[in-house]
Amino acid sequence: MKGRLFSVLYMFVLSLVFTSVVSALNVLNKDRIRQNEALRLQGLVLTVLNIGPSEKGSAAELAQLFSRRVREASLGDRPLYVGLAEDGKTVVGYAFPVSGPGFWGPIEAMVAVAPDIQKVLGIAFYRHSETPGLGGRITEAWFQNQFQGRPLQVPPAGMRFFYLKPPGTAHGPTELDAITGATETSRRLEKFLDEELKKTIPLLLDQKARSRV
Amino acid sequence: MASPKARTIFRKGVWDENPVFRQILGICSALAVTNLMTNTLIMGLGLIFVTAMSGATVSALRKITPDRIRMMVQVLIIASYVMMVDIFLQAYLPDISKALGPYVGLIITNCIIMGRCEGYARVNPVWPAFLDGIASGTGYALVLLAIAFIRELLGFGSVFGIRVLPEGWVPWTIMVMAPAGFFMLAVFIWVAYSVENRATRKRG
Repeated sequence: MKGRLFSVLYMFVLSLVFTSVVSALNVLNKDRIRQNEALRLQGLVLTVLNIGPSEKGSAAELAQLFSRRVREASLGDRPLYVGLAEDGKTVVGYAFPVSGPGFWGPIEAMVAVAPDIQKVLGIAFYRHSETPGLGGRITEAWFQNQFQGRPLQVPPAGMRFFYLKPPGTAHGPTELDAITGATETSRRLEKFLDEELKKTIPLLLDQKARSRV
Repeated sequence: MASPKARTIFRKGVWDENPVFRQILGICSALAVTNLMTNTLIMGLGLIFVTAMSGATVSALRKITPDRIRMMVQVLIIASYVMMVDIFLQAYLPDISKALGPYVGLIITNCIIMGRCEGYARVNPVWPAFLDGIASGTGYALVLLAIAFIRELLGFGSVFGIRVLPEGWVPWTIMVMAPAGFFMLAVFIWVAYSVENRATRKRG
């Protein structure tokens, strides 16, 4: 009986000690972790809007640039980042997050469009769990850069904003190179990107027409 | 007295009783994180830290821990250190933390650590237990790095993210996928045993 009681007490005290240490570490680093997240997002917004610092600046510089050149607004239920020129007034573009299912898990991306909403400024896929070297290549520059400067016309019913075609067979402004060996990732990406753009672009056009952004 | 003993511990951990190719432990992560060397290195360092610290802690508590609940105690200790590693990576190496994803948390279930706690730390003093953890962790990390080297080289044409093969190199897609982990591990075990057998024959 005595031994059993000791076991229980021992486990209790040990758990208390270890969870306290881990919790303390967590609390001490929480701000830093959150800051990392925020900074990553800010850097991403600046990059897709082509405002981004050309070379990797310090965290403080990045945060400062973000607060000077980006105004935060909302687009339906998602955030909208309004990129501003050096003067702090002229709009140079709009950025907003899109997401959808990939092959292994959700893919999240940031899309930036020109101020007249007629053209893509840039796109960056920043969170995904696709196979490294295959679907994971959506984060590579050649893939993301394809979107730059593409015209953004709301397509007629049954059509899509963009199509991913086998490399080498893409023609015309709405067709882009898919990733060899990552058929499923490409197929799903094409689908969710289209669905998200169909949700956001008309909304953005509408907000702009009513000069709300 | 300490140095020859340390040498024995390291010999055992890295070669004679290497956790991966001798005891076939820790295979899950050996397959999952070995397609990029940077990730593999961080994973290896994480495991070395957790194994060494858990070993030392289990050993320090070995005289007062009731036998009946020792497994629970070990899991608690291991899980705490793994969470510390996870928090550290999130706070200071966010990119690596993103890349490793759930595998850091899965160090908890890595049989190597529990194996060393049960098999060594529970009945040995703190310092040898600590060294034993480092040795076993190193054994694990070295095997994984060897596998990752070949997988990254052939699958991406790079080493630690630095391009070494010419631009025209056609990456072997299979190398970055899970099956290549199995192939490379099997090849590694084969080579390691051949080397060992030749050495024994010579001695005999």
